[in-house]
Amino acid sequence: MSPLRIRRWLVIACACTLAALALMTWQLFDPSVWPVMVAMSLGQVLGTASLAAFGYVVFADFRAQRLSKMQNPNGKEPKQNA
Amino acid sequence: MTALLASPLSVVEVACAVLSAIVLVAYLVLRPPLVRATKVWLLLGLGVFPIGAAFSGNVQGFEATKEREFCGSCHVMALHRADSDDRASGSLASRHGRNAMFGNENCYTCHANYGMFGTILTKAGGLRHVWLYLTEYRNTPVEESKKTIKLREPAEMNDNCMLCHSTEATLWLKVPDHRASLVDTRAGRIGCASEGCHGLAHPFFQPPSSAGDKR
Repeated sequence: MSPLRIRRWLVIACACTLAALALMTWQLFDPSVWPVMVAMSLGQVLGTASLAAFGYVVFADFRAQRLSKMQNPNGKEPKQNA
Repeated sequence: MTALLASPLSVVEVACAVLSAIVLVAYLVLRPPLVRATKVWLLLGLGVFPIGAAFSGNVQGFEATKEREFCGSCHVMALHRADSDDRASGSLASRHGRNAMFGNENCYTCHANYGMFGTILTKAGGLRHVWLYLTEYRNTPVEESKKTIKLREPAEMNDNCMLCHSTEATLWLKVPDHRASLVDTRAGRIGCASEGCHGLAHPFFQPPSSAGDKR
C-alpha cells in the first residue's frame, strides 16, 4: 500500500470517527427518537468501519515492512510510510 | 447542559469524545509520519476513546429510550405524553406518572414486556414502532392517530399491572369486583385498564375490542 493511500485511508477513518462521535454526542443533548436511533446505528457503523480501516492500514504497513526486511535483510531500515 | 450533568455516563461519553477528537484533529492538522508512536495515538483516537464513548453512549441511549420525553417525541404520541405530563389529569397514565416509582419512565414501566427477555422484546417492539411510524404514521394527523393506534397485545397488559398490584393482598381482595373477576384478571381476559374497571389508561385511548389495526 502506497504512503498516499495509507494517508487517504487514515484521513477517511479520522473523518468518519469524528462524524460518529458527533452523532453519539448529539443524542445526549437531544434524547428523542431520531438522534438516539441514528447514534446507535449510523454512529456505531461509522465508528466500527473507521477502526477496521485503521486495523487494515496498520496490518498492511506491518506486512510491507516485513516484506521489505525479508527482501533486503542487510540493508537499511525501510522508510516509514506517510 | 442539564442532560450532560444528569448522569456520570454522559460525562464519560463527552470526555472520551473530546479526547478522541483532539487526537484525530491533531493527526489531520500535523500529518505526522506513520511511526509506532503515531499508531499508538491513532489507536487511542480511533479505537479506545471512541469505544468508550460508544459504550457509555449506548447505555445512556438505552436509558433515554425509557423516558417519557423519548416516547412522546413522535407526534402521534403527543397526546399520550401531554396527558401523562398533566398533573391534574385523573387518567391511569397520569396518576402513575405522578408516582415516584414510575416518574418519567411511566410509559416504559407500564408497556415494557417483563421476564428474562423483557428488555430485548421491548426494544424490538420499539423498532417495530419506528418502522410503522416511517411507513404509515409519519404524516398521520394526531386526531386520526387517536382513532387508529391500539394496543397490540392488550391481554398482556395485566401482567405489568400485577408486577405492583399482585392481586393477592388482603386489601385488594376485599374489593368485591376484584374477588369476582380474580381468575379472569389474572388470565388477562379482563383488563385492569378497561371501561367498567379502572378506565382506559389514556383518556382518548381506543378500547382493544373496537375495530382498527392493532399497533
